[in-house]
Amino acid sequence: MAKWYDVPGNMDSNVVYSRIRLVRNWADYPFPGKMTREQSLELTGQLCERIKDVGSVEGLKIRYGNLHQITDLEKRALLERRVINRSLVKKSDPAGLFLSDDERVSIAINGDDHIRIQAIEKGLNLSECYRIANAADDYISEQIEYSFDEKYGYLTAFPTNVGTGLRASVIVHLPMLSRKKNFNSLVADMGRFGTIIRGVFGEGSENYGSLYQVSNQKTLGQTEKDIVDLVYKAAAELDAQERRLRKEALKQRPVACADECYKSYGVLKYARRLTGKDSMEFLSQIMAGVTDGILVTDEPCSIYSLVIGSQPANLLGRAERPLSKEELEVARADFLREKLPEIH
Amino acid sequence: MLCEQCRKREATVKYVEVVNGVKTEHNLCGHCAARLDIGPFSAMFEGEFSLASLLSGLLGIQDTEKKDGKLAGVVCPSCGTTYEDFVEGSRFGCADCYSVFGPLLGENIRHLQGSEKHVGKRPGNIVRAQIQREEQASVGDGNDTQNGDIIRSLTKEEQIRLLQTRLKDALRREDYKEAAALRDEIRSQKEETE
Ligand SMILES: [Zn+2]
Ligand SMILES: [Zn+2]
Repeated sequence: MAKWYDVPGNMDSNVVYSRIRLVRNWADYPFPGKMTREQSLELTGQLCERIKDVGSVEGLKIRYGNLHQITDLEKRALLERRVINRSLVKKSDPAGLFLSDDERVSIAINGDDHIRIQAIEKGLNLSECYRIANAADDYISEQIEYSFDEKYGYLTAFPTNVGTGLRASVIVHLPMLSRKKNFNSLVADMGRFGTIIRGVFGEGSENYGSLYQVSNQKTLGQTEKDIVDLVYKAAAELDAQERRLRKEALKQRPVACADECYKSYGVLKYARRLTGKDSMEFLSQIMAGVTDGILVTDEPCSIYSLVIGSQPANLLGRAERPLSKEELEVARADFLREKLPEIH
Repeated sequence: MLCEQCRKREATVKYVEVVNGVKTEHNLCGHCAARLDIGPFSAMFEGEFSLASLLSGLLGIQDTEKKDGKLAGVVCPSCGTTYEDFVEGSRFGCADCYSVFGPLLGENIRHLQGSEKHVGKRPGNIVRAQIQREEQASVGDGNDTQNGDIIRSLTKEEQIRLLQTRLKDALRREDYKEAAALRDEIRSQKEETE
């Protein structure tokens, strides 16, 4: 089955995808950080058994796997695809993962918390993500008793997640807005409204590819609907601001804009070696070109699928043998040359 | 050479890592090297918020708490997490930690979260327990409270979920008349929320 990121989305929006994450804990056990290996093994086995039919809720094809039995490389590839988070990559204690065939829905067992439900949708569609995550949550809550407190709500290992345990995130492509001098103050302003913006790919303080994630900062004292609405509005606002800037630029210097897109396309079409940073920058240009209608692909396509596929662990996973730094860059160029959509 | 992390201090630590055949050289200052989670993907930003430093900053571990000793020595009896453990990792060890450290951290949790009180979703068993308690209480009062009164004290979403549970139950009992009535009720409730 096609993965969600391979499916063409709404091609004229800067919003790449939406994501809802709910964290929960089982009242019968201490949080993962304080569990012995034996307890981890027991909890993972028990949960895997008790919630094995969780797919039935949404009619999803969900498979289960033990995370402690897969390679480090596979885990890092899952991290790049946002299926699991970093603490699960590092974890050597027993942990598990329920994952739908299209990778839209996942339930990670025994990460930072006992249960982490995640639902992803292409484009700006947080309400659908929440609907699915909420249904899975309802199902699980009938199989086990959650750690819940009338005052603090759902209890989580990190107090930064307590209450709703809800993190709503939207990934937005902001190539022009992020280059504006006032971007930092915009980010600070959004912080005052309770949202956080951070770069998705990059190194140090450098961002590669201008993909940003906007999420809610607080999880307590607001309803789930309020949180989802807040992040939705912030993402829609970022998208609108980016759109305005791009429209303006396109009007003022159409040749320069088109030139940048076509040059980036040309590089990815013919390059024999690409660093992660370069590929992200060129893909960002192409993404903007497609969204603005400068580059017209023969078929609807997902540029984000190329972003995911050109990440190191995903490239290495397909290579079937260890690669040197240079070989990895060659593999990246090969991958992009092969997958780049035709334009007319 | 400048440190590749902070680009401020001189790089004094050279670290070469080989992961799955990929060789990468890192040049770091002592400060960043000590904090760095060395791995080829450490630069990829974490999708989750650990906010550890933020919280530790808010808690002001810069010795203020240690000096007055108010919190030092507090240990969660259930999981053994100490206050110092909490400050260091910004995480609790078990559900009981919230009642042990919660009152001490109330101000900080409010600062961090803007609130101290959950107003969102509640698990089904908690909602059902509340209904049962209220039903029993009303029996005790001798008042013939209508089920509807109790239902009205729940949030809209909880009402819908409760009705859905009753619907499933009715279907199991093959009471189709009640099931149909419940289905209509759920529909009208859902329309109201939209
Ligand atoms: Zn440094
Ligand atoms: Zn504890």
